[in-house]
Amino acid sequence: MAQPVHEFTIEPLDWKPYVKPVDVNTATPDQLDALKITPSNKKISDYVLVLANDPETLKERTPLFNDIMYSEGGLSRGGREIGALAASFVNRCIYCASVHAARYIQLEKRPEVVDEIYGSGLDANLPDFEQALFNFGVDLTAHPDNVGAYQFYHLREIGLDDLQILDLIHAVAIFGWANRLMHTLGEPHRLD
Amino acid sequence: MTVPSTNDVIDTVLGLERFPDLEALREQRAKLKHLSETSYQAALRPAEPRNFSYALRAALAARMATLWKSQELSAHFRTLLEREEGGSGLAAIVDPGSRPEGSDARLAAILVHVDLVTLSPKDATRANIEKLAAAGLDDRDIVTLAGLIAFVNYQVLVVAGLKMLRDN
Repeated sequence: MAQPVHEFTIEPLDWKPYVKPVDVNTATPDQLDALKITPSNKKISDYVLVLANDPETLKERTPLFNDIMYSEGGLSRGGREIGALAASFVNRCIYCASVHAARYIQLEKRPEVVDEIYGSGLDANLPDFEQALFNFGVDLTAHPDNVGAYQFYHLREIGLDDLQILDLIHAVAIFGWANRLMHTLGEPHRLD
Repeated sequence: MTVPSTNDVIDTVLGLERFPDLEALREQRAKLKHLSETSYQAALRPAEPRNFSYALRAALAARMATLWKSQELSAHFRTLLEREEGGSGLAAIVDPGSRPEGSDARLAAILVHVDLVTLSPKDATRANIEKLAAAGLDDRDIVTLAGLIAFVNYQVLVVAGLKMLRDN
């Protein structure tokens, strides 16, 4: 059996749950309803099937996550991925980080930003724009009780407007949510 | 108890009626704002509370908000707890230093997990889920608990970020 992965890696990973995923063949109507709003053109992941154990929450969470990460306007999609990566590095969600590192590279074509985060972790030394986004994500994730004028000043300094800052807050916060599910309900494995 | 569905919890705890610019900014992401509120209902007051009573959900949420020193949300969840049936019996577990009296192994295991995953999710392992199962939680209970912890932490971060915008 493949060993679980406990160190950050950019390679694509598999996620194996600690609790039983819902079996679509025996799922309740509420569970099927909650599962319907995930992309139907590919196999439903074990992660989503685990969350379907509590369909009422899953049904709200899926569209919320999509709106936070993919809504039009405001902060760039790549900028939101930096927020996701910062949260996932603080919370050590190795699977989340791998997925969103790949997505950042796909969107921005700048693998050197991801390389630096993977090489230096929370001490990453990034270009000004990405540094400010990353630092905010780290601070909000690690110390939500201590975010104020200092963080705000740095976000303004790189030119973010209110809506862009709001989008960044949500991207970091939704990974405070996602990391606490993915990292605690299962673990990543190398692909067979 | 009736929870007013027209009042947005995050707007209310931050007193945003006195900050119309920030209220309007949130409306630019109206769908997300609405889904944050329906997620609150699903986590704190679901149609089927099953093995997690409304009072227990409110008490755990108050404990998490207190762990993060989120005064606004801590006060909100304490008020919610007072209004829930059986809430007074759970008031003691809101204080993060507290452990349940007697030999309630299920509640004790839940509190340990809540504290760990709130403050230090990076340290959670398979063993933590096994401890919940050993204390009598089934798979659905474990996912419900994880979902409640994850949602409240999301809300704490959103409120902290909005407070930064409000006060600067």
